[in-house]
Amino acid sequence: MAAFQLSKKALSLPPTVRTLASGVPSASLLNLNARAPAHGDHHAHGEVGPRSDTPAAWASKISTTPVGLVSTNYASAKPTGVFQQRLVHTTAVAKDTPQVPDFSGYQAKSESTNRGLAYLMIGSLGVLSASAAKSTVAEFLGTMAASADVLALAKVEVELASIPEGKNVIIKWRGKPVFIRHRTADEIAEAKNTDWKSLRDPESDESRAKRPEWLVMLGVCTHLGCVPIGEAGDFGGWFCPCHGSHYDISGRIRKGPAPLNLEIPSHDFNDAEGKLVIG
Amino acid sequence: MSIANTFYNVFVKRNSVYVTTIFAGAFAFGVGFDLGVTSFWDRWNQGKQWKDIRHKYVEAESD
Repeated sequence: MAAFQLSKKALSLPPTVRTLASGVPSASLLNLNARAPAHGDHHAHGEVGPRSDTPAAWASKISTTPVGLVSTNYASAKPTGVFQQRLVHTTAVAKDTPQVPDFSGYQAKSESTNRGLAYLMIGSLGVLSASAAKSTVAEFLGTMAASADVLALAKVEVELASIPEGKNVIIKWRGKPVFIRHRTADEIAEAKNTDWKSLRDPESDESRAKRPEWLVMLGVCTHLGCVPIGEAGDFGGWFCPCHGSHYDISGRIRKGPAPLNLEIPSHDFNDAEGKLVIG
Repeated sequence: MSIANTFYNVFVKRNSVYVTTIFAGAFAFGVGFDLGVTSFWDRWNQGKQWKDIRHKYVEAESD
């Protein structure tokens, strides 16, 4: 009879083990003083010992009575706020330590392991990127450079011996006329003795002619771009028929609307071959 | 391992040395790459370029 009652008691366990809102576990007829498994197959759980969630002695008591195991709960603290019991939930199970996988097998043995190779690969990528960047910039700038056919047309050579003294020669250079005058000694003296500081565009003859006997100028009037006529005008130099600008024998503006002297292109003398190189 | 450590200690330890090495290496790489590609191009196109067949025509002109 007693055995029947005992087994009947054991069958009437409460269906749910729950925690009261006060934090005290409520598990009637269950022995919560159970110990943790003795074998330590879990690491990082602290030392083996009594369960940390064992309720305090004042909260519950286990006793063996003639009718069986009896668990008595004393604590019945009232909830301090709105208590909503969640019997069914999908939240993750709270664990006392994060479950971090063991990476120790993948860790480098020391700081210098693979360091040289890693920096070598980084440096190699840097070398390739720097080379590619430099090449990109160089190629882009190369597209701005003049092509070979343009460079070939950019210079003009004139045989100086073929120009007699006191004569003008007009050649075409970069689509513009260029005046070359082989000046006589009288003309040089006249150009040099002019009081050039009082002119509209003051320039000395020495700064205009690299060699006094050769005057090289762009044959474009600085007023509106006509081509002046040589050995004409009031000053024995050039005269622009369009609006009447007079240039002297050094190509300086003396009279008329033009604001500036005739322009001097960059030129050089090749004495070995007796040539004038313009450009 | 020791080669790697020597490389690290010589080139990488100071960033100024590392960056300078990278730029110098980029320059050398650019020159070397240019030379290599040019020589490969010349070998690949051997006998087809003007500089390979020039002697035929220049001789004919001077004759």
